Amino acid sequence: MKKKVLSIFLTVAMAATLLTGCGDKDTGNNGGNESTPAPATESTPAPENNGGNDDNNGGASDGLAYTGTLELMHFSTSEESQGNGGSDGFRTMVANWKTANPGITLEENILSNDDYKTQIATLAAANDLPDVFLLQGMNTMAWADQGLILDMTDYIKASPYYSDYNQAYFTPFTTADGKIYGLPVLTGGTCTVVMYDKTVWGDTFPSTWEEVEAKAAEILAEGKTPIAFGNSGKWQANSCFLSTLADRYTGGDWYLSMINKEGAKFTDPEFVAALAETQRLFNETEIFNKDFNAVSNEDAREYYISGDATAFIGGNWDVSYVQASLEGTDLYNNTGFAVLPQSADATHQRNSQNIGLGYAVAINPAIASDPDKLAAAIDLAYYLTGPDFSGFVAANYALGGLTAAPDVDWSKFDQWTIDFYNWSYIDTDACEIYDSYLDGAIWDVLNSDMQSMMNGSMSPEDVAANAQAAYEANY
Amino acid sequence: MPNAIKPKKSVLFAYLIIPVVIFVFSVFVPLVTALVYSFFQWKGGPAKTFNGLTNYITLLKDSTFWLSFRHNIFLVVVCIVGQIGIAFIFVLMINSKLVKLKGIHRTFGFFPSTVAAVSIGFIWKMIYDYNRGLINWFLDKIGRADLQQVWLNNESLVMLLVAIPLVWQWIGYYMVILLSAISSIDQEIFEVAELDGANAIQRAIYIVFPLVKNTILVCITLCIAGNMKAFDNIYVMTSGGPGTASMVMAMYGYQVSFSQQNMGYGSAISVGIFVLSLLVIGGSQWLIGLMTKKSDV
Repeated sequence: MKKKVLSIFLTVAMAATLLTGCGDKDTGNNGGNESTPAPATESTPAPENNGGNDDNNGGASDGLAYTGTLELMHFSTSEESQGNGGSDGFRTMVANWKTANPGITLEENILSNDDYKTQIATLAAANDLPDVFLLQGMNTMAWADQGLILDMTDYIKASPYYSDYNQAYFTPFTTADGKIYGLPVLTGGTCTVVMYDKTVWGDTFPSTWEEVEAKAAEILAEGKTPIAFGNSGKWQANSCFLSTLADRYTGGDWYLSMINKEGAKFTDPEFVAALAETQRLFNETEIFNKDFNAVSNEDAREYYISGDATAFIGGNWDVSYVQASLEGTDLYNNTGFAVLPQSADATHQRNSQNIGLGYAVAINPAIASDPDKLAAAIDLAYYLTGPDFSGFVAANYALGGLTAAPDVDWSKFDQWTIDFYNWSYIDTDACEIYDSYLDGAIWDVLNSDMQSMMNGSMSPEDVAANAQAAYEANY
Repeated sequence: MPNAIKPKKSVLFAYLIIPVVIFVFSVFVPLVTALVYSFFQWKGGPAKTFNGLTNYITLLKDSTFWLSFRHNIFLVVVCIVGQIGIAFIFVLMINSKLVKLKGIHRTFGFFPSTVAAVSIGFIWKMIYDYNRGLINWFLDKIGRADLQQVWLNNESLVMLLVAIPLVWQWIGYYMVILLSAISSIDQEIFEVAELDGANAIQRAIYIVFPLVKNTILVCITLCIAGNMKAFDNIYVMTSGGPGTASMVMAMYGYQVSFSQQNMGYGSAISVGIFVLSLLVIGGSQWLIGLMTKKSDV
């Protein structure tokens, strides 16, 4: 009999454990009050207790009424923060805010960037987003339509740092009706930079592709790859090449027209010409490593680091990695930065690079039902994107954030850092990062097709037609 | 079962409820919810719009989906021939009297199937690598550097190249199944055949094959089911690229659902995969049944 009782007890216990596992994980000390679905009906802006958050010099605010847990999901892992100013700054600000708000338990869910993108999309689909998270520009419209993200327009205007914000950074997170859904976060970095070995290319990198092709022949004869590029993830050719190259063909107004649905099309001849040029450069010349479609940007930058390639095209995240890897070598002192060379038939600005803040701190509208919790979330968002962050990344990495960077003490930085700062923020013109806008579905189609196109197995016209069909179906 | 150790029905039920609940939650519920979602336009989030059969009409016209289906069928064919065919040959070789250390062969043969598919993908990606890969290194060493190429970027070869790791990984698995089937054959049969002068090939074709035919048919069914849901190693090696040259159905469903955040259509793709897999498995069973009947006559 005893055995029977025991076995039934164990069975029930196991079943109970199983069912608990399926239930809501958030049965913590906030009583699960956020589960009341209160979608986009954003309450009247009541950021009354933000006044104090810049008083405290220790960094974070004090005087928040909320006690309990606040979820934060992001991708600044400890590995990522090694040498990466934005991640390091973000983690430091989170730590400061935690210290200054001992009454609030900040539950962090930290994933690598690729995993983050997948998981946040899954959580969005399940309408189960964390309280505070990072929103990618291209998701803004779709998620705002679904009521998944809080309209932060009034909170942003009420921010104590509002006058310091670089307003241009808000555009990817602003919908057509002018509502802003996030505070741009991390560091403003380029997505397309040419890093080159000055001992091979000279002090100045060629300004046209013709010159690059001429020089490439010499470099190939020495058994080296002229320029390394990796596109196995499919997004790189878009983010780190086409976005800048096509801007030279179409001009900035074309993309604004795409964003605002004012008549521009992917099938417009200027954009098709940019695709054709991309195809020519990758498929018909020998400028790039042959395995560009089979290796990632992480692999390709190793070609540059190892000296197998004499230049590399990538984003600011690659620059920080290459910098950390090359420190102490000759190549470290001989690396220069350049914009993409200009194509012969491109007519628009030739000194451009796509730069911006790809992510913003966004808030789940469900927490608006608890004004204290909302105030805490807003305060966290202000702090993560505020002057303390900009000060930290400027002082330690010579990088800029959402607020105007304070004066940088240049004496503590080496030439690499100073050169890259000047190149990023002063010497070049900015253009838009394509995939900070529109819709992920469009980019997924374009990126896949571009991989075939760069192999020569798909025509630029077909690529443009498919992208336009995806644009019309999804945006 | 003697009554003394036969538990009461209620106890039996209590024990059974655990696996049943797990099964219902992990298999049945997702299947039904996917079916429901497939009738909605759902870009993630709370808003879903019922759109009837629109997703299925799109699916029927979706050339990428049907290309992926063809790729899955290609994988099935390559893997039936490669995995089960090679496993059968290996089993005959291991069973031969000439082979020593049979246990070691069995263990090493089975080893790859215990490794995660993702790791297998990474290993083979390194083998195919253009600059540091084993194949190009070997071609260089034998003086055929002209044959070197970016293997995984060759659109006409890439499906075969991603199938090879799958074949390599699962040979040992089918080898173990076939070995157990062969070991159950009465040894006297082989001895008699040998006395009658049957050589190894004749013994394989006229004795072993007919006697393990049913096991082979089970292996074929397992192989089809496994390859209709191929995903992990291809995801690691090519992500379906270049372009869609190595796209398979499960990966396309994943891409539509998560990269494109089109959950409604992604669900329709999942239902499509389910139906097509049932059809292929059902069709192959019917074909096998037909063949078995014929040979029985």
